[in-house]
Amino acid sequence: MELLTTGQNMTITEKLQILTDAAKYDVACTSSGVEREGNGTDMGNCINAGICHSFASDGRCISLLKILMTNECIYDCKYCQNRCSNDIPRATFTPEEICTLTIEFYRRNYIEGLFLSSGIIGNPSFTMELIYRTLYLLRNHYRFRGYIHVKAIPGADPKLIEMTGYLADRMSVNLELPTAEGLKNLAPNKHRKTILTPMRQIQQGIAANQHDLVVYRNAPKFVSGGQSTQMIIGATPENDFQLINVAENLYQKFGLKRVFYSAFVNVTGDKALPALPGGPPLLREHRLYQADWLLRFYGFKAEEILDEKRPFFNVLLDPKEDWAVRHLEVFPVEINRAPMDMLLRVPGIGVNSANRIVSSRRSGNLTFQDLKKMGVVLKRALYFITCNGRMMYPVKIEEDYIVRNLTEKKDRIQFGTDGMSYRQMSLFDDDRFTASITAEEKIRTAVGQF
Amino acid sequence: MVIYRCEDSLESIFTAVYRAYEEHRDHEDTRILLHDEPILFAEDIRVEKDANKAVKVMRTLERKFGEKDYFDLCSALATEDEDKADAVYHTIVQGLKNDCYPEHLYDNLANAHVLKTFKLAKYAWREIHHLYGFVRFQELENGILFASIGPRNNILTFLMPHFADRFPSENFVIYDEIRGIFGIHPAGKQWFLQIGEEKPVLKYSEEEQIYSELFRAFVSSIAIESRRNLDLQRNMLPLRFREYMIEF
Repeated sequence: MELLTTGQNMTITEKLQILTDAAKYDVACTSSGVEREGNGTDMGNCINAGICHSFASDGRCISLLKILMTNECIYDCKYCQNRCSNDIPRATFTPEEICTLTIEFYRRNYIEGLFLSSGIIGNPSFTMELIYRTLYLLRNHYRFRGYIHVKAIPGADPKLIEMTGYLADRMSVNLELPTAEGLKNLAPNKHRKTILTPMRQIQQGIAANQHDLVVYRNAPKFVSGGQSTQMIIGATPENDFQLINVAENLYQKFGLKRVFYSAFVNVTGDKALPALPGGPPLLREHRLYQADWLLRFYGFKAEEILDEKRPFFNVLLDPKEDWAVRHLEVFPVEINRAPMDMLLRVPGIGVNSANRIVSSRRSGNLTFQDLKKMGVVLKRALYFITCNGRMMYPVKIEEDYIVRNLTEKKDRIQFGTDGMSYRQMSLFDDDRFTASITAEEKIRTAVGQF
Repeated sequence: MVIYRCEDSLESIFTAVYRAYEEHRDHEDTRILLHDEPILFAEDIRVEKDANKAVKVMRTLERKFGEKDYFDLCSALATEDEDKADAVYHTIVQGLKNDCYPEHLYDNLANAHVLKTFKLAKYAWREIHHLYGFVRFQELENGILFASIGPRNNILTFLMPHFADRFPSENFVIYDEIRGIFGIHPAGKQWFLQIGEEKPVLKYSEEEQIYSELFRAFVSSIAIESRRNLDLQRNMLPLRFREYMIEF
């Protein structure tokens, strides 16, 4: 315990500020995937959809009390604020402090549960043991039944990871960087293998536990909310195609629930890192999440979204629009007849609206008016669909035409207040024709100067 | 045309539905309205609420349409919309007429009444779900947790079960400022609603100050400065909720 002596004279507010600040670059803050009712005496329950309790000024949700156990770290990862060569104030929470904070915040409905990560203090197993001890206290002494998301520390004793898994709802191991090479350059103390080992262990643990639950209904649950991971985007020179391939592999081979992408923020100013004058690559992160959704819910494969010849996302079109304009041979799709998987490929139709279309077309033919009411985004979908054999407007099914209409604001088909009107393009659409005449122009006309 | 006039409560509206069936009305030509504006050539019938009839309707709805769709009907009736009763009534009529399976009440979204009920239910549910997260309890001197809310829809009834399940051993009160309703949960007992009391003067406990201060510190230091995006924050957390939240 001699490792835990620093910062013991700090107030809890100072500690909370330091350790929140150190944890904020971790992306995952979801509280979804677990449904657990209260037991009538102890505090806490979980809702499958997850609950957001607040939103910070960067627009990200605050669902869990996201803190580090300690920001002391023996590693020297170049991208990380808590690297050992960085001169920043260090602090460490005791397990009791974390428990009291969690319980008191939870009682006031500030948070949905705890997200506990940590810098490596001493060695990985020692750190994992501290995390385990905190969770044990919280679950058994404080009788907390809310959501707990915890990091598995790569390199820690597998026994410790397993024991922690029985107390947590979700576990995650950070992949940090998408390729082994990037990891070697930027995180010299971490190895691809040590990261993938606990990930595999948790995956197998979950599978074995599902079997146990079939046989014994009351078997303790192991990581019932599944496991997730995160990658840093833009710190190393990988292309987008590599990134979504890694994500697809993780979903298929490691059975992950979520892969999170974190736009790189240069906090350390290390010379091995790229300078980002335009701020973090937020658009790239956004496109990755869009592609991630296509992989998980829309039946797309990574090589359909991007390929080696075009390894980067289109800046102007989202991945689904991009796929659609390159595959115009399958469009237009007839709304009243097309199968579900085809409906899901139409830009402007999401999972919810596809479900609504399929269930409501049983009772009668749908019209464009109905689609609009159901939440289909017609301004994107209209180029790709027909209702009862008719398209909404006489549009050309031609790549250039559609791309131009989808991307350029002023060329788009204008929608009226009811969202259904259609303006004929004409020579006189130029706003110079409709603008009022200025006094200067009147004079110039009067004296004959055009 | 026949018009059943009732007041704005579940009981009263469901009684009207019962009577429309009991009196064998032509449902296409029957409406249930909450206001008293006269309509030409229509026969007005004033509905007195009747708990027995309402319970019968509720039970039928739950059995026929399933727990979730029944819940959605009730949450649609929690909104402040003027024509909600009529929309719900005609949704029920088409559901029973088509003999739809449980959880398939809202399949036919091309029907205007079904769509309206569906939208209202979504609208109410969205606010319920928001408030699951945005309700802020403050600890009073005597250890009771107290929260004020100002929702657009009358949804206190939907919030109480969630929090009673979450905090079974806490004494807590949620106060709907707009409608003057208290939801009260005594520790370890069933929760109930109290209408028409004055809002008491609140004295907070000593610890309250400390923890709300800590949470404020947490919220400000969790934000990443280089990703600052106040528009996104306002989209996700509309300003009308912030009045009741201690971190703003």
